[in-house]
Amino acid sequence: MAEAAVETAAAPWALLAAVLLGALALGAACLDGVLAACAEGVPARVGLRAPVARTAALLRQRRRTTVAADGLLQRAGGGGLVVAALLMVAVVPLGGHALADLPAGVVWFNAMDVLVWALVWLAGWGGDSALALVGGYRFLAQALAYELPLMFALTAPAVAAGSLRVADVAAAQDGLWHVVWMPVAFAVYCAGVVAFSVQGPFAPPAGLDLAGGVLTEASGADRLLLQAGRYALLAAGAAFAVPLFLGGGAGPLLPGWAWVLLKAGLLLAALVVLRRRVPAVRPDRFLEAGWLVLLPAVLLQLLVVAVVVVGRG
Amino acid sequence: MGLSLDRLALGGTRVLVAEAPGARVVRAAVERAALGRGWGLASSPAQAGVLVVCGAPQQRLQEAVDRVWDQLPGPRARVGVLVPQDAAPALERAAGHLADRAEQRRDADARGAGPGAGGEEGDDGGHGDDGDMSDMGMAPAGVPLAGGDEDRDGLEMDVLQVPLGPVLPAWPAGLVLRCALHGDVVASAEVEVLAGSGPGGGSAASRAADGAARLLALAGWDDAAAAARRARDALLDGDDARAGHVLEGLRRRVARSRALRWQLRGLGRLDGAALAEHGLPGRLGGDVHDRLLALLDAAAGDPRYTGEGDPDSAAAADAAAADAAVVAALPALVAGLDLAAARLVVASLDPEPVPERRVARG
Repeated sequence: MAEAAVETAAAPWALLAAVLLGALALGAACLDGVLAACAEGVPARVGLRAPVARTAALLRQRRRTTVAADGLLQRAGGGGLVVAALLMVAVVPLGGHALADLPAGVVWFNAMDVLVWALVWLAGWGGDSALALVGGYRFLAQALAYELPLMFALTAPAVAAGSLRVADVAAAQDGLWHVVWMPVAFAVYCAGVVAFSVQGPFAPPAGLDLAGGVLTEASGADRLLLQAGRYALLAAGAAFAVPLFLGGGAGPLLPGWAWVLLKAGLLLAALVVLRRRVPAVRPDRFLEAGWLVLLPAVLLQLLVVAVVVVGRG
Repeated sequence: MGLSLDRLALGGTRVLVAEAPGARVVRAAVERAALGRGWGLASSPAQAGVLVVCGAPQQRLQEAVDRVWDQLPGPRARVGVLVPQDAAPALERAAGHLADRAEQRRDADARGAGPGAGGEEGDDGGHGDDGDMSDMGMAPAGVPLAGGDEDRDGLEMDVLQVPLGPVLPAWPAGLVLRCALHGDVVASAEVEVLAGSGPGGGSAASRAADGAARLLALAGWDDAAAAARRARDALLDGDDARAGHVLEGLRRRVARSRALRWQLRGLGRLDGAALAEHGLPGRLGGDVHDRLLALLDAAAGDPRYTGEGDPDSAAAADAAAADAAVVAALPALVAGLDLAAARLVVASLDPEPVPERRVARG
């Protein structure tokens, strides 16, 4: 298969990537604010500016520690989520450029989402608080359920493209997007993204029943980083879906980079809207579903993809 | 510039609500007023800028509220609300306190370096009642290490003594459930009710709508919980037509949701024998999902909840007895459940602790 041409962007462009990721994440938070305001019967403009107001409030709030907290690890966990999200988008080609054109970019993304296991758990563990600790362990239970299906969902497009390089996977969808002929892998991937961002139905690690779970003891800037990290991860997951399943930068009229951003934004909005429509999934139930339904389903999908690839010769 | 940033920050304030038994209508009014001005509800003290005390807590509950107040990071404001009409003005007062930079600076200076450095009320020695601050040999920073015990699978597990309540979101007012946790499984629990008073729980229908809102919020379905809150507020306004309209749509969504049924089915099931054993009324039969639908039906006017509005009626006495029976049965009902399930079971039973003390206003 022909190598897709992608240039490695110079280091300063990483700032632009961070700004774009931040804009996507903020957009998602604002959309969520509007939806919440509508459900609550409050004017939509109040919800629209809620994330900005909340950010200002958290910046103004004092930092708070608990007795015998492990501050270093707690803050590493909280601050690490944003870093993991930035490292995820580093391998996403924007038009003809990527920050890092890794030969195993798909594996890189997978490694970053496994990093989230440690980060969320540390955020819960570091505070030396029972409810936060339970939240951290809840995330691990949840991760055991989503990680393997997510891994195989990432494998399917790579098998179809015969390459682990993200640009090659994007280029392999000439004419037929992967989402069309591997819908199960796409659905499982989206569920995995929502799960590693601790959002919507997969928010029990930060659940109300634990008084905020991994967020229980976080205040001020620490809390802001955790919350921003959750949205940044959701945005990064949506952005990575574009080269993997949604044809990369392919599209009429607009340049490639615009299509990548547009598709990522639309998928992100869809995830934000959909995740509000379902109640939370208790981790013990999800574990059952992950291993008995999602994993077999995505393995079957992988089998279909492999047979098609072999048949094509 | 600095001032406009303060104004913006004020709009993102989160409110932590501490509720005394019998102050359900006050809490409802506070939640409504907070959400109405674009503020959110806090799930823990760390998140909150404002602590609103609903009703009049008596001594032990007051101590717990004081301890929660110490945990607010600041800038912070604390207001008390005794009647629903005072909710919005009280939040306005709180906003004034938050915006007052000099006052916040004084508060911060008075508090010292961090937690355990003593709040403004000094070390009065009255805070030791949770039993986990005593000086023990193996106690880093004064906190004893977890003890060990055999769990239900015969493995040695750390045991943590974790009190649930009295200031916890979506939790019955004044209730404290002292749990011995094996991991996140409640091995055993003791129940206690901290007294306080408020103007009452509202009509039976509004109380049921409030219970449904809490249960749905705990189940992680924010939109449905918001709808239940709107129905509750309409009922408290006496706008039965609007409440009926909202409840009809909500009931349909809840009954149709397969995801919700998958989460709640089989949880906390009470059959006839269990009901009789604990002296619980028949409306609490079935599992958490059944009880959620029953709450929604009761909110829509189904006469399964009766007499709450009239404190003199025999039905009200029955309801009070039923609440007392639920509270007494809680330790048995949550033992062996994980925390998420235990919280859902407690919320589905939705007790109003010690209603007989509701009239005792100080």
